[in-house]
Amino acid sequence: MVDFAYIERVLPLYERAAVLTVQLGIEGILLSIVIGLVCALILYEKIPVLRRFVMIYIEVSRNTPLLVQLFFMYYGLPKIGIVLTPEVCGVAGLAFLGGSYMAEAFRSGLDSVENIQRESAYSLGMNRMQAMCYVILPQAVSTSIPAFLANIIFLLKETSVFSAISLMDLMFTAKDLIGLYYKTTESLALLVVFYLMILLPVSIVGAVVERRVRYAGFGA
Amino acid sequence: MPDLGLEVLMKGNNLLRLFDGLWIAVEISLLSIVISIPLGILLGILMTRKNRLVRFLTKFYLEFIRIMPQLVLLFLVFFGTTRSMGWNLPGETAAVIVFVMWGTAEMGDLVRSALLSIPGHQYESGKALGLSRRQTYFYIILPQTLRRLIPVSINLITRMIKTTSLILMIGVVEVLKVGQQIIEANRMVSPNAAFGVFLVIFILYFVICWSVSMTARYLERKWS
Amino acid sequence: MSKLKRWIVLGVVFVLIMGLAGCGNSAEIGKATNSGKASGKEGKTIYRTLDEIKKDGTINIGVFSDKNPFGYVDENGNYQGYDVYFANRLAKDLGVKANYVSTEAANRIEYLQTGKVDVILANFTVTDERKEEVDFALPYMNVALGLVSRNDNVVKSLDNWNKDDKIIIISGTTAETYLTENYPDIPLQKFDSYATAKEAFENGTGVAWANDNTEVIAFSLQNDGYTVGIPSLGSNDTIAPAVTKGNTTLLDWINEDIKKLGEEQFFHKDYDETLTETYGDKYKETLVVEGGKSE
Repeated sequence: MVDFAYIERVLPLYERAAVLTVQLGIEGILLSIVIGLVCALILYEKIPVLRRFVMIYIEVSRNTPLLVQLFFMYYGLPKIGIVLTPEVCGVAGLAFLGGSYMAEAFRSGLDSVENIQRESAYSLGMNRMQAMCYVILPQAVSTSIPAFLANIIFLLKETSVFSAISLMDLMFTAKDLIGLYYKTTESLALLVVFYLMILLPVSIVGAVVERRVRYAGFGA
Repeated sequence: MPDLGLEVLMKGNNLLRLFDGLWIAVEISLLSIVISIPLGILLGILMTRKNRLVRFLTKFYLEFIRIMPQLVLLFLVFFGTTRSMGWNLPGETAAVIVFVMWGTAEMGDLVRSALLSIPGHQYESGKALGLSRRQTYFYIILPQTLRRLIPVSINLITRMIKTTSLILMIGVVEVLKVGQQIIEANRMVSPNAAFGVFLVIFILYFVICWSVSMTARYLERKWS
Repeated sequence: MSKLKRWIVLGVVFVLIMGLAGCGNSAEIGKATNSGKASGKEGKTIYRTLDEIKKDGTINIGVFSDKNPFGYVDENGNYQGYDVYFANRLAKDLGVKANYVSTEAANRIEYLQTGKVDVILANFTVTDERKEEVDFALPYMNVALGLVSRNDNVVKSLDNWNKDDKIIIISGTTAETYLTENYPDIPLQKFDSYATAKEAFENGTGVAWANDNTEVIAFSLQNDGYTVGIPSLGSNDTIAPAVTKGNTTLLDWINEDIKKLGEEQFFHKDYDETLTETYGDKYKETLVVEGGKSE
């Protein structure tokens, strides 16, 4: 039967884990937005040399699993003298992965802004920088919002592999409690409930926004 | 040149074992995608039905699979089903089940939007030619949909191969676990093995996923 | 978290569990023909009887693949170590092939209860809590807990703990249970496998690593720069094979075999073959349990 006393007892542990999941998730996502914007602008403006690096970065980041990236960072890098805490590794890994997804989202947003917009901005006497900041970016960002939200959900889900580098996130908490108290059903049910509490709101916002924007090419 | 711990890979069958481990990941993804395609087409067709209940159930399935991290699904199937249903699944089977559930959902959604994107006059032309509803589906609609699906399914394969790294966490001995075993067996002689081994695994994953994505991109360009 | 939210969570959990349980009941009807099944106190536990294993020709044995020198994989992909040496012999005496399933500490009970393995030989310490979940056979090794730390900062006591220092433990081990119960204020850095825990410890994480004393002693002997500051912690326990609860045919057979092996001093030989290289002869008499008789 369902052991409610057990659920009551471990609930605080899950709450703490959920906070960690959300906190590291948000930090990683914010960083990946910055990386993504910079990369998208470099690609859009076709800046030589840097453009090559960005393209290589995007390919590497999109074609390797986060878990392997984290293993290399947390267990491999210390061998050549780079020691990072699990928290830093987790955020850095998420940003490394998310940066390329965000870059793609922003780039398709930038590409969707018609050239006439830029030309009109120039003819109004704006310089390159001003045209970018006041005319192109705002339009690009708003068209890329659905893809952007899909990426956020994707990245929040990806945080579940943080358990591999000993971060006490929801996944590890559930696994650890199964190993400590052998209550599999309750631990797994709580795991599902907590992930739903984190991801469902974001997903609902995503659905509403998608309906508003109706932009083709939704999805990661 | 600092010690990068690459020499352990030259010992015994170590490098070969890494390849074997990676092959398990590729096999699981390929098998899952092969099963997912027919199921996904079925789901996609169901999703375009007018019936409210069918639409609600398929939508619910799709959203649940999409919202749950794959690792959680793996845990639910691997530990949950054995507990509540008395099934006894090896990790590999659990992985295939989860990937098929996921692949079917993704594929179903793609089929749904592909079906909806096929203009109405195609259906009407089929009817005008005297084809039955089923014949219209089989000879006119599905072939057009399938072609659009191939590049996307290849894309899904890369995502699956990447996700197979998670099966380490349900105890399947795949490339990361083999890597750990190699590091562990050589801890005394090559203390820096972790760097070399994980770097090689990183590169191996990249080579496989990158070549698959390149193929997808090529097909997309060719057929669009 | 407010009271209301707490009740919502409890409610949803309840519904989910009822859903799972409901599926379970309906699935059971079709399973009536499946023999060797017994109801546990939660869900169902499945096991294969001695005869079914013999008939199948393969026994599934859960072992560690990263706990050198007790259970690990060598460079040719073969399982080795003190546990594995014993496992090979068990399979041979039973006349079947041994199929090794790599396990992590936290999965061991789960693997037995869900029938993923027939027997666990993964350095499994006998405790009262675990006895409620699985059946232990006669012991084959003595164990206590121990704590290893770096030479430049040897930890000799757990009292007056500095709150910033973390102890590495492996999820699902007796060390985790012991520290959680007796020293709840010491921060723990948890890992899910031996491989990752050792790697992180080597890389400078944590001030100490708590585990079976056999394992931390082995670690300090195999790697330079480490000292076992606390060689014995908690109670003196034993390590034994474990089977799924209620699998008496297999359990009785293993017990008989362990007694028989005692006559030929099998575990001394096991020690010589697998552990001497690490420990020398120093721990032979304290570590080995022969014929299931631990004093």
